Amino acid sequence: MVVRIRLARFGKKHAPFYNIVVAHARTARNSKPLEVLGTYDPSPKPPKPGDTYGRPWKEVKLDISRARYWVGVGAQPSDTAWRLLSMIGILEPQYRVLQRQGQVVKANTAAKSIISPSKATSGLSDAVEASGRPVGEDESG
Amino acid sequence: MPPRLRTTNVPCTLTCCPSVRSQCITQPSRTSRQFSQTSCQQVTLRRRKFYDWLNGPGLALKEPIPGSTNYLGAYDRYGNLVRASPGWQRRKAGEQQGQSAEQEGEEKKEEAAEGQESPDELEMAARRTEQAKKAEQAGGDALPPETVEDLRPFPLNKHFRSQPVLSEGLREAIYQRVKRDGATVSLASVEFGVSNERVGAVVRLKQMEKEWIAQGKTLAAPYSKAVLDMLPTTPYVDPNRPENKGKRPITHEPINDLPVHAATRQQLFVPVAESRHFTRVDAGKAFDNTLLPADDRIPHPELVQAERELASGLSFEERKKLAEERLAAEQARKAQEEARLKAEDAALKKVPQRRWDFVFQDFSIETVGKSERSLEGVGWRYGFPHEDRKKGHVKIPTKVEA
Repeated sequence: MVVRIRLARFGKKHAPFYNIVVAHARTARNSKPLEVLGTYDPSPKPPKPGDTYGRPWKEVKLDISRARYWVGVGAQPSDTAWRLLSMIGILEPQYRVLQRQGQVVKANTAAKSIISPSKATSGLSDAVEASGRPVGEDESG
Repeated sequence: MPPRLRTTNVPCTLTCCPSVRSQCITQPSRTSRQFSQTSCQQVTLRRRKFYDWLNGPGLALKEPIPGSTNYLGAYDRYGNLVRASPGWQRRKAGEQQGQSAEQEGEEKKEEAAEGQESPDELEMAARRTEQAKKAEQAGGDALPPETVEDLRPFPLNKHFRSQPVLSEGLREAIYQRVKRDGATVSLASVEFGVSNERVGAVVRLKQMEKEWIAQGKTLAAPYSKAVLDMLPTTPYVDPNRPENKGKRPITHEPINDLPVHAATRQQLFVPVAESRHFTRVDAGKAFDNTLLPADDRIPHPELVQAERELASGLSFEERKKLAEERLAAEQARKAQEEARLKAEDAALKKVPQRRWDFVFQDFSIETVGKSERSLEGVGWRYGFPHEDRKKGHVKIPTKVEA
């Protein structure tokens, strides 16, 4: 029988909470699994107090070495579990969307950290117009 | 109902004919209301008295005096500010000429209640001198500081006194002392005379305010300013300024009050042998076995400790050394805690995604124990129900992360 790494929904109505479990594929969703690898809380938490530019975050608890072991012996992660496992490098990402998104996030943070971009662009604009290419064209890709 | 017409600052008696009943609000002549069968009597005694009050004594309350409370209790029956000097009254009367025709014949009452039945008389005196200084700088006929009488918003309730709130300057000073200078909350509490809880709240709220400013959010500053203008406030005495040399800060509230524990609300008579040494620790245990003695439950046991050392005859140098040792121990504990939190944070793996970060925490599945039911384990347990509806499980958060 196929062993899968998947999520088991616990929590309340409108307040989901998942156990990341290793279970036989044909058993019921919330039945007792072979092993509980961790938890995933999908409701985003606000940034910590004192963190002015912090982003909201989602908490995942995971026994990483056990997850590696189960993947190594052939357990098949579900799509959602795959997405979570690929974030910490246990698996190759199934879709490259996340990777691209990560790059965009990084670029955005870098762009925000530049002081007064309006000033810089206003100074540059004449030179750019002369070369015939608008500012910021190269970033969209 | 027709919309109320707000008159300008021009006194009503100028606009209306003085011989006629002085009424600002226009009332169309109607014999009956749309929704009611009873006829609307146009001029009743009460209505006339109401408008008399509005245009007479009540007029002073319409525009609050800056830097003062705007309570009914501060004025006498004729609308005179009780605590004001004649010079101030005259100036004010000059500003609002004509409206106070009946006011002029009146004599001003002297300030009656000068610190009667006020337990914190010293504090009030300190506040008053502070404000009196300000008044002297402003000029001879400036408004004197508020007395106890003026802090009664409800004239019929003589026992209700409006309590002062922290001024903006004092709040900023508390925040700077804790955040910039790294003073502990209890130290700041002692220095400023503000309770521990309030210092904590001030620091948290100030931090939030600064975060909001940094994020470019708009603050309700006009609202806060308007409210603070009309409340008694505890001013900040800046010790760095030359004119405040040797002045003590104004205490906002008593800081070392013993909180009443529920276990101590009963009256107890405990027979004790004369030979027995019955201390406060024993007294605490007599109420409840888990109750700490009063010495440990007060917010500032270190103040008692300092007084003890003083009473035991230690020299200044020795006391200073002891205090510094205590401070160093406290700071070491704080630094250790911070380092632990930092290490915990560094152990987390953060993966930024489009809208939020995914924060991964590594843990060992062994924590769940052999029975797989240990509460230390991560995740929802299998085989027994969730206990949140059981008796004695507190669901209200008992702690706020700040």
